Amino acid sequence: MIRTSLLAAVALTVLTGTAWAETWTGGDDLPTNPLACDATAAAAAAKPYDGAEPTGAPDRKGKKITVVDVPKLIGIGYFNATSKGIADAAAELGNVDAKTDGPTKANIDEQITFIDNYITSGVDGILFAANDPVAIAPVLKKALSKGINVVGYDANSTPDARQWFVNQAEFNGIAKALVDNMAKEIGEDGAFAIVTSTFTTPNQARWIAEMGAYAEKCHPNMKWLETVEAQEDNVLSFNQANTLISKYGDELKGLFGMTSVATPASAEAVTQAGKCGSIAVVGLATPNAMKPYVEKDCVKSVVLWNPVDLGYAAMHVLRAVADGDLKPGATSVKAGKLGELQVINGSEILLGAPYTFTKENIGGFDF
Amino acid sequence: MATPSRAAPAGRVPYLIGHEIVLAAILLISLLVLSTQTDRFLTTGNLLNQGRLMAEVGLVALPMTFIIITAGIDLSVGSIMGLCAILLGYSWQNFGLPLELAIVLALVTGALAGAVNGWFITRIGVPPLIMTLATLALYRGLAEGISQARSVRGYPEWFFVLGQGEVLGVPTQLWIFLACAVVAAIVLGMSTFGRATYATGANIVAARFSGIPVDRTVLLIYTASGLIAGLAAIIFVSRVSTTRSDMGTGLELDVITAVVLGGTSIFGGRGTIIGTLLGLILMQALKNGLALAGVKGDGTIVVIGLILIATIIISNLVRRDTDG
Amino acid sequence: MAIAARREGAQDGLLGGLRRIFGSQEMVLLLSIVALLVVVGAINPRYLAERNLQSMFLGNAYIAVAAIGMSMVIISGNIDISVGSLIGVLATLSGTLAVSGYPIIVCWLAPLVVGALVTGLMGFLVAYLRIPSIVVTLGMLSILKGGLISVTAGAWITDLPQGYALAQMRPLSIPMPVWFMVVLTAAAALWMRYSAFGRAIYAVGGNAEAARLSGISRRRTIMTVFVIHGVFVGIASVLFATQLSVIQSTVPPNLELTIITASVVGGVSILGGTGTVIGSTLAAILLAAIGSSLIFVNISPYWLRAVQGVLILATVLADLMRRRRQARS
Repeated sequence: MIRTSLLAAVALTVLTGTAWAETWTGGDDLPTNPLACDATAAAAAAKPYDGAEPTGAPDRKGKKITVVDVPKLIGIGYFNATSKGIADAAAELGNVDAKTDGPTKANIDEQITFIDNYITSGVDGILFAANDPVAIAPVLKKALSKGINVVGYDANSTPDARQWFVNQAEFNGIAKALVDNMAKEIGEDGAFAIVTSTFTTPNQARWIAEMGAYAEKCHPNMKWLETVEAQEDNVLSFNQANTLISKYGDELKGLFGMTSVATPASAEAVTQAGKCGSIAVVGLATPNAMKPYVEKDCVKSVVLWNPVDLGYAAMHVLRAVADGDLKPGATSVKAGKLGELQVINGSEILLGAPYTFTKENIGGFDF
Repeated sequence: MATPSRAAPAGRVPYLIGHEIVLAAILLISLLVLSTQTDRFLTTGNLLNQGRLMAEVGLVALPMTFIIITAGIDLSVGSIMGLCAILLGYSWQNFGLPLELAIVLALVTGALAGAVNGWFITRIGVPPLIMTLATLALYRGLAEGISQARSVRGYPEWFFVLGQGEVLGVPTQLWIFLACAVVAAIVLGMSTFGRATYATGANIVAARFSGIPVDRTVLLIYTASGLIAGLAAIIFVSRVSTTRSDMGTGLELDVITAVVLGGTSIFGGRGTIIGTLLGLILMQALKNGLALAGVKGDGTIVVIGLILIATIIISNLVRRDTDG
Repeated sequence: MAIAARREGAQDGLLGGLRRIFGSQEMVLLLSIVALLVVVGAINPRYLAERNLQSMFLGNAYIAVAAIGMSMVIISGNIDISVGSLIGVLATLSGTLAVSGYPIIVCWLAPLVVGALVTGLMGFLVAYLRIPSIVVTLGMLSILKGGLISVTAGAWITDLPQGYALAQMRPLSIPMPVWFMVVLTAAAALWMRYSAFGRAIYAVGGNAEAARLSGISRRRTIMTVFVIHGVFVGIASVLFATQLSVIQSTVPPNLELTIITASVVGGVSILGGTGTVIGSTLAAILLAAIGSSLIFVNISPYWLRAVQGVLILATVLADLMRRRRQARS
């Protein structure tokens, strides 16, 4: 009996081993929209407003409001930065009481519970970065139905569950920046691998899908080797990157880091393997984490937007919405020191183009 | 861990009354303290809402009580939940099964997953911790593999009544949970099956010699655990209107905390459904009440950890009992 | 119920000794590792490259070290599921001390001391207040995790001083963590087998009544086991913290499960009383090898976790088969 179980176990192992994905692993299956291969900017599509409205929101103009920010998870540098931006904006506005609270792991169950509790405690506004766009919708709709203003940032929900979404950069814009940077470093026929968080994280999945589409369009000879998961863990990302380096040897010319944790860890792996300069590391990361590698010339460029600015903008948008200054159909919104931000895709507010940190400018940032 | 604890007196709810009283007292004190911190805590709306939110953990905690009483454990409940959620979505969307049938399929899968655990534990003799540690990875892996990391959305409206709707003003899943809790309490406290459960946990060798169908009991308990995890999966999917392969991650820790808080001994032979219910309510009350009182997430889990340890210490001291 | 006496075994000649060695879980694990290396190496020779083998052992040695202490705890009949959180806390402590300018040796030793204190507290609750270890460690898991996030908010610890990176040192071209893993395992194995205290641990876990009758103090044994476990956790956390040049002050996900899996796959019985630390180290190596090999053989990444689960189960079944066969003969 044990023997048959063992045989079954081994057979199962062998069978499952043969499945292979055709598109880049880790991308989702939503439609992609790759940008032009040159530097022409994408035409911003004008769409009618598709966000939702709170029911029975009290008049909050000029009054003090309490706001809670519920990111995907707390305890990582990226959301520390957005939280700082939100706090900065709140201090600047003067009439906002903001705090950040969230789950300790990127889990929808817990995030929903957090938001639910804050609804009950009677906050005026909710800022969120969703772990799953559809799963978070019911609880956000509940918030709207209680007259709470809801604005998202970083990771969207379905449009009908929030009023506005502050988008750091378009998915295809980020994909273009990443792939173009990689092509510049490893050449048009280099081979690369991807280290991501999990295959189910919506933003990462969108980016990878867009990257695949853009690469096929504009850099068709570049070779995608593999995608590995490393959650949001530093050491795991490091180990996975190491395994990739060992597995592909000289064939591997580049590594994409899809999270602000994976990129520095991959850079570390490349450094410790003594392959600085022969393996390029391109990815999303906060400048502080990447300073040591950029200064040593191991990493040439880091793509990101400014998460502090992202949080800052989100807070200003929420204030504007609560005050009634930002209404459906608006084409731009003033966000404090960031100036006027464009409205795109109906109910999204664009922070700007992705920012590339290089050796020249990385010293000027501290997050 | 190897020393058998005293066998439970047959037929009676074992001398756990002591612990439940302690737990109820702690619960009462907590509720009082929390209600003074915020006036939004003890409102009907909030309490019903909390009932809705705790339904999944609560349901899974019921068979887990049985399992821990038999001196076993089931770490795979979270993964079974994820697997059933995925199969629900996958079979509905990719195989085109009518949703009702997909729901049944999800339940059957849960029962099957639990039965596999139970079979290996009883027939092959793999210790429960190891078996469910392996299936924790295996079932989660199956969920990820089958779903290929895609989530399923777009369920019909009627499906959401289960997780987001109400019946007579009380959330639907709360009714289900209460019904299951009543059934579980009756089975555990007053039926032969319940007595067999206690006997198995207290002294498995003696139980076997007494002619109690130990293997069948244990197998049924693990199957029930899987089945209920499947039910919890369906409720959760209905509540959040989507399926993901990472659903239920970490569920097992919350469930085990509630059961252990409720006085069920990890060494087997003791425990009641009432204790588990009190433990569940206490945990949910803390999570909710502390949040409403302005304590952030990290502070809340520290408090829960402290109360868990403190409750057991107090209970032990008050009852001057030893765990074998 | 394995009592310490069984481990001495009747030395029935060379054949009996050999049979005992080859019939052990440790040998099964060793053979599995070799088989895995051979098979995967045949499929992709780069698997056997020195670089890969080194990084495989290097990256997971801290798990083996932590598993040593965990095995002792499990052999004594208890468990510690807070070990992941504790490693996170101690790693952060070590890093924080380092960037605050404390001498490097202090940064390396502080986690051992603090670790021992924390686990000593847990041991006290288990041994003297008779709280089941699962309750204590379940509670402690939350307390440590919540506490860590409250204090650090997951901030990166960067600008670590030169000379701090213990895990990146390579005496005699062998990575430091591997040295730790091998030396500590050997020392612990010898100590568990030949010292009175080591045998006391087996006794307490295997048959508490017999242990008590032999004059072994259950309370003192368990308390001491937890303290020793804390020291191992402290060492593991330093190895963990110094692998990279930054420290992410969070709790690494699922670490406790990995460590416990290493112990139980290594043959440490959850019922207490049997198993060796050599087994758990070999199991930790095997698990690391499996994880790495699955990437090398191009298993579809979506099925990675499932395959891992199957392999864990297969190893456990193999162990059970072996025990059955031994019991029969």
